[in-house]
Amino acid sequence: MEFDDKVPIYLQIKQYLYQAIITGRLKSGAQLPAVRQLAAELTVNVNTVQRALSELIQEGVLVTRRGRGNFVTDDIKVLIELKNRVIATELGTLYRQLADLNLSAEEMKDAFAQYVDEQEAHHDHQ
Amino acid sequence: MTTNKISAEHLTYKRNRHLILDDLNLNVQQGHFIGLLGANGAGKTTLMRLLNGVATNFTGTIQIGASESIVDRKQLSSFSESLKGVNANRTLHQIATDYAIMYLDFSEKAFENFTNKYELDCHQKLSALSKGNRKKFATALTLSRQTQLYLLDEPFEGIDSMTRKRLISNMIAWKPAAATVMISDHHVNDVVNILDEIVVLKDKHVVAHRNTEQLREETGMSVEAYYESFYEGSATDD
Repeated sequence: MEFDDKVPIYLQIKQYLYQAIITGRLKSGAQLPAVRQLAAELTVNVNTVQRALSELIQEGVLVTRRGRGNFVTDDIKVLIELKNRVIATELGTLYRQLADLNLSAEEMKDAFAQYVDEQEAHHDHQ
Repeated sequence: MTTNKISAEHLTYKRNRHLILDDLNLNVQQGHFIGLLGANGAGKTTLMRLLNGVATNFTGTIQIGASESIVDRKQLSSFSESLKGVNANRTLHQIATDYAIMYLDFSEKAFENFTNKYELDCHQKLSALSKGNRKKFATALTLSRQTQLYLLDEPFEGIDSMTRKRLISNMIAWKPAAATVMISDHHVNDVVNILDEIVVLKDKHVVAHRNTEQLREETGMSVEAYYESFYEGSATDD
């Protein structure tokens, strides 16, 4: 994994784990590798990984079981909320950038819908 | 509460009447990866020599944990430069055996582990090693001791980026939680992801000492850009 050195690494690790959970690479209830192993895999420092995991535990996305390690929550509500939260963050960025171009709400919706259709069509041709 | 710290206070060091470090102050908590950054000639190696107790004629105080004495500091720290002066006709295995006699905390098992992972052939003579392999060997020897402070002087010089990544992964998996690893480097990006803290040396002083994640969070700057900002407008000899 490549990191952007301008952004705190722990935030990037959180994003990386969010994505793994949302896409199902890390399944609900699955155990995470040990902190040290995760750090070695990502070639980042153990404290940084620990900080990312601590925040995920606070958010309830991960649960820690004494002596056994960290697991992805099996609370579906939390996982749905997580997915919605990540989607909202991405859309928020897009929304602000389009708003900066002075697009109206209608124009934004149309442009986005059209873009999605084009992408799908493009995809089908391949 | 000085027991879990490494510190230098009012550290001044001259060599041949030439001032190398001038009233330098540094205070780090044990247990972190620390990047010692600075242009060539900034005094990185000198500071490591002083911490390790190889360089002696200084004023001020240096402490590793609760210990100030040079004898103690040599025990409490392991320095990659100690390979200097070793007879280059000896094999890596012979050198390691000498080390085990010199340092009671040297683990031959750990050494074997490192040399396997670093793909070093211990039957080779030191003189036969490439620059990169010589660096790997120095690192293997240094990390095979069981002590508090590890001082690695430019450990990735002459090592390609893929191997470097492997060595770094290895170091992360290896480091005991309480140990401190100080790595000097003038190419920040080589090591930046594993550093908890950076210490920038310039003009005979510590000009900055920052936690890397806080630095990114507070300034939005990359560690490299931050480091380079100390050298803006002045040419480095690199």
